[in-house]
Amino acid sequence: MISNISLKNVLPRVFAGSERELPVKDSQVWLRELDFTAPNSYLIEAESGTGKSSLCSYIYGNRHDYSGEILFDGENIRTFSISQWCELRTRAIALLPQEMRLFPELTVKENILIKNRLTDFKTESEILEMLRRLEISEKTNQLVSRLSVGQQQRVAIVRALCQPFDFLILDEPVSHLDERNNTIVSSLIADEVKSQSASIIATSVGNKISLPFSIQISL
Amino acid sequence: MKNDNIVWQLLRKNVSKGQIVGYAVANFVGFVIVLTAIQFYQDVKAVFSEEEAFFSKDYIVISKRVAFLDAFNGNVSFSEDEIDEIKSQPWTSKVGSFSSANFKVSVSVDFAGRGLSTHLFLEAIPDEFIDVKPSGWHFDPIQKEVPIILSKEYLTLYNFGFASSRGLPQLSESVINKVPLRLYVADNTTGHVDVFDAHIVGFSSRLNTIAVPQEFMTWANDRYAPNVEKSPSRLIIETNSPGDPSILEFMKNNEYEISGDKVDNGKMSHFLTIITIVVSCIGIVISIMAFFILLLSIYLLMQKNKEKIRNLLLLGYSPLQVSRNYFMLIGLVNLIVLILSIMVVLVASHMWSGHFEMLSSVDSSCVLMVMVAFLMMTLITIGNFIAISQGVKKRFYD
Repeated sequence: MISNISLKNVLPRVFAGSERELPVKDSQVWLRELDFTAPNSYLIEAESGTGKSSLCSYIYGNRHDYSGEILFDGENIRTFSISQWCELRTRAIALLPQEMRLFPELTVKENILIKNRLTDFKTESEILEMLRRLEISEKTNQLVSRLSVGQQQRVAIVRALCQPFDFLILDEPVSHLDERNNTIVSSLIADEVKSQSASIIATSVGNKISLPFSIQISL
Repeated sequence: MKNDNIVWQLLRKNVSKGQIVGYAVANFVGFVIVLTAIQFYQDVKAVFSEEEAFFSKDYIVISKRVAFLDAFNGNVSFSEDEIDEIKSQPWTSKVGSFSSANFKVSVSVDFAGRGLSTHLFLEAIPDEFIDVKPSGWHFDPIQKEVPIILSKEYLTLYNFGFASSRGLPQLSESVINKVPLRLYVADNTTGHVDVFDAHIVGFSSRLNTIAVPQEFMTWANDRYAPNVEKSPSRLIIETNSPGDPSILEFMKNNEYEISGDKVDNGKMSHFLTIITIVVSCIGIVISIMAFFILLLSIYLLMQKNKEKIRNLLLLGYSPLQVSRNYFMLIGLVNLIVLILSIMVVLVASHMWSGHFEMLSSVDSSCVLMVMVAFLMMTLITIGNFIAISQGVKKRFYD
């Protein structure tokens, strides 16, 4: 259970030396003290190239090319072992990567089950219900490589929700969705987050997910 | 379990069947060569060890070369210094002297209705060098009964040389043991003759002589030839490295002669050992190469599956959960190679053992071969597993 994620003077290594230049100079994240506290929801707005995907990766533990400290409830995440990370990734933090990271050679169902069987969180009918809400239930047994990018994004969202979490990190969750689908996806995510009493950290370059964010930050 | 099925379904797509089969065949060939060499060595060893301790230790009987002039001065015995020199050689573990009788002996036997009598020579060596240990192998001056061990060669000479040409019955060892003999021992100074009961108690394939117990020889030399001190003219050496070429060289340099074909046997065993080592090395080299082929395949596979592995770890799969799928594949391939190679070697061993059975009834063991096979495969599999888990772990961080 994580209730607080705090960033202390975090700076991606690529920005080292350009602390007085844009985008670091005006950033509310880099080289600042910042807390993400449950159950608030955060929207991080940024232009591309400012490092929002890097921030998501730092928090999710798959990159550590930064200076400064990221703490989960006061504990420096650099000290976490691989097995601690595996536990966190199935029980405490969920990530929807910008590039989705689906397996194109597997079907929609298999892509979701590969996560759900690890967490054993949703029943098969619950998964089908989510697919139905996102209007892709008829694609269940199709290979992901056959889907449009927008459909793939919805599959990735369902997969990300198939686990218990305290923080849901959404890296540009609706970049490939139209207004209507944005609304549908947002309501699904909002319901899930509410039922889990969890927090959202979402990023956006333009197309914002239509969720009621309590705090907006510009990166 | 179903969970793993999807993961395996995902990961196996890039597994190259050709590479796995290539590795399996190469490793199989390497294993068969190594194991065949070991098993062949074991089987051949078993054949010879029945007769003599052929490989572990061996006995050599040596004497000095009789030169033309020695016929007159008779100096063909070994001095204390010479015996000490032999004892100090690295291949010598024990040296025993043949002590010969310094008095005159003859023997008579009532045999098949005829009385036979002949002059005789007797020798004695310490008991530890005698290959047969018959009961009654001791001498008591009060009972005056002398046990004798004959060279097996003599019995063969009699049965197939003498008896058959003279129309005499051929004799088995057990019959000869029952024949009563009389030993006539003459005092060197007074000429007085004492009579002893004697019987043959055993036949030796190591000793080419007529042997009596050392106790009798010491006692009789003191009694019948008290003033004669003779150095031994023949020595028996127990060596722990038969076939060592330095033995032959030493004998040649000192002009000692080796009786029998022991050295030839020794050479053969030495040769067999070298062949076994060479063949095993070839097999091991092939297995090592096969091992590296597989390592290369594993790295290639990891490289091809880089993204998939990374995505699985991102979903929360532990490196072990991912590696396990590869472990199962490699473990299964290795197990099949192990079982097949052991089976092939056992079948081959069975086939060549058919030829050995004519020489020996001893069954050799395949325990060593199987143990070596398991040990080698365990090492290879551990190496494979380490390569796999490192390849997977490397993908944990982007």
